[in-house]
Amino acid sequence: MIRQDLMELAGRNMRNARFRNLLTTMGIAVGVASLVAMLSLGIGLQGFANHQLMKSGMFQTVFVTSKQDIRNQEENADAKPEESPLLNDEARTKIAALPGVEEVSPEVRATAEVDYGDKTNITLLAGLPQSAKDEEAVEKMKGRFFSSATADEVLLQREFAKKFDANPDSVLGKTLVVRYAERQTGGDSSSFSIERKEKPFKIVGLLDEEPFGGMRMISRARVFMPTQTAEAMNLMQQADTQQLVRATSGVRTYSMLTVRMKSASYAEKVEGAVKKMNYSAYSYLDATKSIRRFFAVLDMFLGIFGSLALAVASLAIVNTLVMAVLERRREIGIMKALGASDGDVKKLFFAEAATMGLIGGAMGVALGWVIGRAINFGTNIYLHRMKMPAENLWTVPLWLVVGAVGFAVLVSVLAGIYPAARAAKLDPVQALRYE
Amino acid sequence: MSEKTGVAAIEARGASRYYTMGEAIVRAVDDVSFTIERGEFAALLGPSGSGKSTLLNLLAGLDRLSGGSIVVDGRDLSMMGSEALARYRRLTVGMIFQSFNLVPTMTLADNIELPLRFAETPRSERRDRVMELLSNVGLAQRADHKPTELSGGEQQRGAIARALANRPSVLLADEPTGNLDSRNGQEVMTLLRDLNEKMGVTVLMVTHDPALATRYARQSLHMADGKLVSTVEVLQ
Repeated sequence: MIRQDLMELAGRNMRNARFRNLLTTMGIAVGVASLVAMLSLGIGLQGFANHQLMKSGMFQTVFVTSKQDIRNQEENADAKPEESPLLNDEARTKIAALPGVEEVSPEVRATAEVDYGDKTNITLLAGLPQSAKDEEAVEKMKGRFFSSATADEVLLQREFAKKFDANPDSVLGKTLVVRYAERQTGGDSSSFSIERKEKPFKIVGLLDEEPFGGMRMISRARVFMPTQTAEAMNLMQQADTQQLVRATSGVRTYSMLTVRMKSASYAEKVEGAVKKMNYSAYSYLDATKSIRRFFAVLDMFLGIFGSLALAVASLAIVNTLVMAVLERRREIGIMKALGASDGDVKKLFFAEAATMGLIGGAMGVALGWVIGRAINFGTNIYLHRMKMPAENLWTVPLWLVVGAVGFAVLVSVLAGIYPAARAAKLDPVQALRYE
Repeated sequence: MSEKTGVAAIEARGASRYYTMGEAIVRAVDDVSFTIERGEFAALLGPSGSGKSTLLNLLAGLDRLSGGSIVVDGRDLSMMGSEALARYRRLTVGMIFQSFNLVPTMTLADNIELPLRFAETPRSERRDRVMELLSNVGLAQRADHKPTELSGGEQQRGAIARALANRPSVLLADEPTGNLDSRNGQEVMTLLRDLNEKMGVTVLMVTHDPALATRYARQSLHMADGKLVSTVEVLQ
């Protein structure tokens, strides 16, 4: 029998037992809906977590240190510090030339005292690279980002600004004075002197959150200025002591360079290239592996729970089709007498099972989507009450739609195996015996 | 009445069908041999339980022989697998039943299209073929009626049209007039005779009515207790 005839006959048979088939199909729909609801929640949560982490810029970032750095000597037993080159300006240029690299910036952090009007506070100062303007914390801040990479402008944490003015918004556009320790290189490489300096800055922005999701060392700073401005100020930093005591000193080295890629997809390659240059490199990709594993397990469990309803629905298919075999005994006998082969009869029942799976699957995806929207809506009402921004915890990707319908068809066809075999084996002589 | 052609359409040699019922063996058809020639109208007579329906099912390829052989149009049914038997039922024989066995949920036209679907007749040819078959049995106006909307005679004529859909060479009829009043029975018998005479279809009809056999059949096979007890040829 050709496929078109098969589908026509299957459709006709299903219309003849419309109500029963509709109920069974609804059962499949509910099963698929629960599967879709569970999985899209898992996928949505994963997407949400990924999105949060991506916003932190962590995945686009590789941290490079020299193996000569004291921290690495403690951690890496197999590191051969003497073979690792210095992390100097030459290295910085080389790394900046790697494909996919957007920006290489040192971490500049220093203690500083800040004068604003008649008030003075000591705090931590840090450089923010230009790429930080896409940071979530920066995007959400009040005011604006630095006008240029060398501007004499600062961003303040709102909490810090409150120390100067009860109404922190009023400090925007005003000037503050930063008092800091400047490192002045001496005549030879074995010494440098430190001098106190002052520099005025314009306050252009107020941060409500810590940049980089609070995950980086510089996140803890309360006053941020462009990294290049900070570099030009020759701020005395902690690592300078380490550099001084080393015999190799003489050229300026960095304790750490932060490499920012155009996208997270470059991270692995850049990390590899930097390691080949014999520096230590670390990215958060390793950390995400365990996150991904967690979500894989979560998705699996959600999928199993979601599938339970579908498993129940598959029993309903078996039941419906077995009923249909009993009910259509005579019809099957007639079809065989007219020349239908066992295979034709089997295929007919498979076609009916697959049709129920297809329709049920499609209905289920729609139902699951509606349930998901509803849960998302409810969650956002809750988030709104908690004064938190709305989030999309719900994602139904195309592959899930196609996969869920495909899975429903597969489960239905599997459920059809027994009834179809029973129909095919039906003895036409028995079936046609006059009753 | 049909002429002798000398070519065998159906040839049974020691055809047997045994059932086991617990310990006992029921010999429903027991060592039956006969020949029906091409274009012949034959009748199979016998009381209830004589094995005539079982024999007809064997000839129709619906049941399997326990022993012996049945050769139809030169092909031995005992050698066929289930696929080949399905093909045989589809193309070589047509079958009609006492209870018509039209699919009640299908229109008459859909019923007649069913064997064409199994034979994978191109869809473009089917509608014409169905209408041709229906007008041959005088039911062209009833194409879109469900079996329940038709009289018994119309249903049986529809069933005959369906049996002929794939142009079989042999038509097997199991008590075709058993559920019909005499007028409708007459009509069906006339139709069967016309098909036999005009189209040369070999007809084997099971009946318990000797008068019907005498009137229409050239050869009557009488069965009792699974055995063929006599063969009567009506000489013209």
